[in-house]
Amino acid sequence: MTELATMDFHPQPQPGDAKPWAFPAPERGRLDNGVTVLRCHRPGQQVVAVEVLLDAPLEAEPAGLDGVATIMARAFSEGTDKHSAEEFAAELERCGATLDAHADHPGVRLSLEVPASRLPKGLGLLADALRAPAFADSEVERLVRNRLDEIPHELANPSRRAAKELSKELFPASSRMSRPRQGTEETVAGIDSAAVRAFYERHVRPATATAVVVGDLTGVDLDELLGDTLGAWTGSSAQPRPIPPVVADDRGRVVIVDRPGAVQTQLLIGRIGPDRHDRVWPAQVLGTYCLGGTLTSRLDRVLREEKGYTYGVRSFGQVLRSAPDGTGAAMLAISGSVDTPNTGPALDDLWKVLRTLAAEGLTDAERDVAVQNLVGVAPLKYETAAAVAGTLADQVEQHLPDHYQADLYRQLAATGTVEATAAVVSAFPVDRLVTVLVGDAAQIKAPVEALGIGEVTVVTAE
Amino acid sequence: MPMGHTATDQAGSGGLTATEHRLANGLRVVLSEDHLTPVAAVCLWYDVGSRHEVKGRTGLAHLFEHLMFQGSAQVKGNGHFELVQGAGGSLNGTTSFERTNYFETMPAHQLELALWLEADRMGSLLTALDDESMENQRDVVKNERRQRYDNVPYGTAFEKLTALAYPEGHPYHHTPIGSMADLDAATLEDARQFFRTYYAPNNAVLSVVGDIDPEQTLAWIEKYFGSIPSHDGKPAPRDGSLPDVIGEQLREIVEEEVPARALMAAYRLPEDGTRACDAVDLALTVLGGGESSRLYNRLVRRDRTAVAAGFGLLRLAGAPSLGWLDVKTSGDVEVPVIEAAIDEELARFAEQGPTPEEMERAQAQLEREWLDRLGTVAGRADELCRYAVLFGDPQLALTAVQRVLDVTAEEVQEVAKSRLRPDNRAVLVYEPVAPEGEDTEEAAAVAGTDENEEAAK
Repeated sequence: MTELATMDFHPQPQPGDAKPWAFPAPERGRLDNGVTVLRCHRPGQQVVAVEVLLDAPLEAEPAGLDGVATIMARAFSEGTDKHSAEEFAAELERCGATLDAHADHPGVRLSLEVPASRLPKGLGLLADALRAPAFADSEVERLVRNRLDEIPHELANPSRRAAKELSKELFPASSRMSRPRQGTEETVAGIDSAAVRAFYERHVRPATATAVVVGDLTGVDLDELLGDTLGAWTGSSAQPRPIPPVVADDRGRVVIVDRPGAVQTQLLIGRIGPDRHDRVWPAQVLGTYCLGGTLTSRLDRVLREEKGYTYGVRSFGQVLRSAPDGTGAAMLAISGSVDTPNTGPALDDLWKVLRTLAAEGLTDAERDVAVQNLVGVAPLKYETAAAVAGTLADQVEQHLPDHYQADLYRQLAATGTVEATAAVVSAFPVDRLVTVLVGDAAQIKAPVEALGIGEVTVVTAE
Repeated sequence: MPMGHTATDQAGSGGLTATEHRLANGLRVVLSEDHLTPVAAVCLWYDVGSRHEVKGRTGLAHLFEHLMFQGSAQVKGNGHFELVQGAGGSLNGTTSFERTNYFETMPAHQLELALWLEADRMGSLLTALDDESMENQRDVVKNERRQRYDNVPYGTAFEKLTALAYPEGHPYHHTPIGSMADLDAATLEDARQFFRTYYAPNNAVLSVVGDIDPEQTLAWIEKYFGSIPSHDGKPAPRDGSLPDVIGEQLREIVEEEVPARALMAAYRLPEDGTRACDAVDLALTVLGGGESSRLYNRLVRRDRTAVAAGFGLLRLAGAPSLGWLDVKTSGDVEVPVIEAAIDEELARFAEQGPTPEEMERAQAQLEREWLDRLGTVAGRADELCRYAVLFGDPQLALTAVQRVLDVTAEEVQEVAKSRLRPDNRAVLVYEPVAPEGEDTEEAAAVAGTDENEEAAK
């Protein structure tokens, strides 16, 4: 029995007039030592974000030393010519700053966030780290051991384990992309301070670095500040590295990483496809959102809100690496976890959703809501300096023009239902998807085989 | 004494202001203007959390939160999500021990829609709530539990620590996710009764922050929420007060398939809203916040016995707060080695107190956390609700940073001495078992007799 409400009801209100908002355009410049600088003043953003991109991609790591870029990235915050490792961490924290660094396929990235009033101090520390990292033997040795300790934790995490297996399946063994970004136990064990320094000397220099500075820059003489900090970094010139093409084997198949007793199956279903250089990108973003961007998208409408098999399944496109000539690629994937007994039925429904989408296409209403969301959330999404800096840095890393994101919003708004349908159907073809399942093989193998979504193999978890 | 080191002219609040209002039905409203970006955040805190749940119905507050997205009189099915997202907004809800919150961040010109939606479900949820939603969301929440707790290594550590640190029968003994058995047992009538008891305008605070016209916003709030009847049937939550210290070292050994040994501990700490709570926040930051903390330097950098080591503070207003220590061991290192080092560091800290440099760093870190939290309209809206619901005064959100900066080194030392002691903690030790091991049950060895074992070191 339902019960009657006693409040006064009013019709759904209509929106007011939208206020103009545009993705901020950065100002571009170059320091005397060759560092490219993008800056963007965001009034009111008291925490300034600084991103530094280094042209030190993972494929540049020497054979057998996978993980050296990661160790180098971490070692940047372990001491300089002015501070020991402990002092450096203390100095950063003294100005309320955080400094993260990580290595990925396109390069190494450092992210500094610091309250605006302490920007000079924060930038000084960042510049010291880049200009004169200590790379002390004992600190590198500690980072290596620490990294070795992390690996079992990652392998025990279902979603991390799934990602590792998918990379191995998709990419040829000769490709760096087939192997874990941060290295394996065998390769990391071989890294020492000499290897880190050699990698640094070969691939890190101001001429191929870019710094993005975003935040409330009121009263900051950024030119002088950058000149005194990042400007003091010296190094030789270098040509940009050629970028190897990304290839993948997306023959439809299933790999189960066996975890006996698991109460859920982690699923990761993927292949590679176009990146942002491709004209299809806006339509692919739109279609992928309609498929699995939120809990009212097609996948969750069935798997979560109708069947209750999952807390949520998402589809997404994530750029792996881009090249100026457009030969880059993005990972296109569907991920989530479903309870063990319903693994077969959930995958069956997932494939039905994909087949129905291919057969019937998206509706105009779905397309409209998706556009309104993707375009409408922009001012919310880019409220903080860090969010703006991250996107500007992505654009540089992916060899896109500085106005790319602003253009993308216009293109999304102009993309029709037919284009979005075509893009998402071609992004997720039912017979060209590699499915990784981390779960209890004894319980899920037979039901998954019965679906006919590809040959099923089982590998043992570590 | 350091009087605090501020990163901005007006530490944290950045010149922000908030106004307070109350509708005739008891709904409290907090408004704060900020026209820098054309967005507006709506945040609604209901003064109900897992502490209000009764035996046999753990997880009900959170399951109910899910049901709030299943439609109401004028909003069909998933309409709440669809309409907000279709308007370019983002939204969610969360449940903790002490409250349930719902929030939408909207482009400024869509603010009225969010208010209409929140009012519709506050006033008319039960006209739409049915068995189908209940059964579906029960399954979704059980899968949420599996995904976040049961299917990940150490996933149930927090639940186990909480159960140790707050005694049987205490309102915080169980966590908001609840148990599978209780989730199975919850009925549609339970959910209805829960709504009738706790979802009333006089049991909620609504904040709206951002690019708003306060007069217009208040008029909309009156229009949509004003006719929702108040009611007073809410029972007071069970008393959460406990003695200042546990008085013994509680201990549980967990033998599970985890990648490495781990030592976790929960310390019983001062309630949120007190100066002592701010002091202990600073103490935990000096000891275990970031990568220049005493424990990180000792265990990760110098002894190299741990892969990660840190302290976190769960601030609670209706019961003692909880200081959460988390250390994952390196290689084959055994837990007693770690435990001895921690006891030594904590004892030394209690003895010496923080250095001026440590105070400066800890205050800078906490100030930065506040800048981050108040840096978005959604973060600000949530903090205003928090202080209004838990402490009766939203203005306290705008002065919170200053209070942290006013704490002295002596106060930090004092709270460390009185609270960060071996006889004031519940300890959870993880010992990995091989995947082949048949018996993955926990060996629950709650101590009480051997508290001197650790203290002696």
